[in-house]
Amino acid sequence: MNRRIAPFVASFVGVVVLALLWVLVTAEPATPDDAYSPLVGQPAPAVVTTTIDDDTFDLSRRKGSWVVLNFFNSTCVPCINEHDELVAFATAQSGLANPAELYTVVNDDSDVAVRDFFTRNGGGWPKLRDANGAVAVAFGVARVPETWVIDPNGVVRLRITGELSAGLLDGQLESLRMAFGQ
Amino acid sequence: MRIRTGLWVLLAAVFAGLLAFGTLREGGPSTQQERIESVSRRLACPTCQGESIYVSRAPAAESIRAEIARQVAGGQRSDDEIIAYIETRFGGRVLLVPRATGLDALVWALPVAVFVASSAMLGIAFARWRRRDEETPSSADRRLVERALEEPT
Repeated sequence: MNRRIAPFVASFVGVVVLALLWVLVTAEPATPDDAYSPLVGQPAPAVVTTTIDDDTFDLSRRKGSWVVLNFFNSTCVPCINEHDELVAFATAQSGLANPAELYTVVNDDSDVAVRDFFTRNGGGWPKLRDANGAVAVAFGVARVPETWVIDPNGVVRLRITGELSAGLLDGQLESLRMAFGQ
Repeated sequence: MRIRTGLWVLLAAVFAGLLAFGTLREGGPSTQQERIESVSRRLACPTCQGESIYVSRAPAAESIRAEIARQVAGGQRSDDEIIAYIETRFGGRVLLVPRATGLDALVWALPVAVFVASSAMLGIAFARWRRRDEETPSSADRRLVERALEEPT
């Protein structure tokens, strides 16, 4: 009798082990800084807010231009480190016929602190308020800095997590322009 | 024997009844605050280790909690839909309770499968032991015992 049951038990254990192996092989890697987002290739979330200068901002009205959103906090070290890259990017874009629009999305920071930071470090682009982190949640931003690129049709094309390295944003945007036009 | 079988049937009926009650009862939260807390407990803080949105005071957790509150107040989405929305933004790593679909369903199905298989194997084993106990000795067995008893010690 034992000999008859043993193959069934062994088969059952084998199936369980194979199932666990399958889970391990097919599971998404647990890399928190993975730049993958389900939003890439999808229409950008609605963003209606104000700048720290009290101008209104509606992302849906920016269609026709490439839009770059940079999630930022004035006390975050990688944000401070990448700031020169953003200034260089904005300067380079201003010389183009169809420049990308750069916006800072203020994450868990005060208007005063942000204004002071940009006065000291340069950067004349608009800074968007994000009350209660609604914009951050809409984009799935858990840590700053993060940089998102949205095409002229309002479709999310790129997410960059962490600090921008030299020339990364320019290069990526150039590739996207070639791939998607405009 | 019949009483014992009856007791087993009664026990199984009570177990099934309690299981059905636990599964089907209306235990959902009613107030908005209870809904916010319930949803927050089912989501992990994306920047912490092993903390729920409900417990964490990290900025990301507070932002998600505020979003949950906004959506609950809006009344447009059910709890599951709010969780699905947060998952589409932050990925499956924010789910504290695994989904019941796809590969995640193994988390739910495997323990049940192991329990059912173990119970079945135990049942088979008990039945075999009982049958062995009830076996009547053959005449050869009786002769062997008689010879052993007759032998001088």
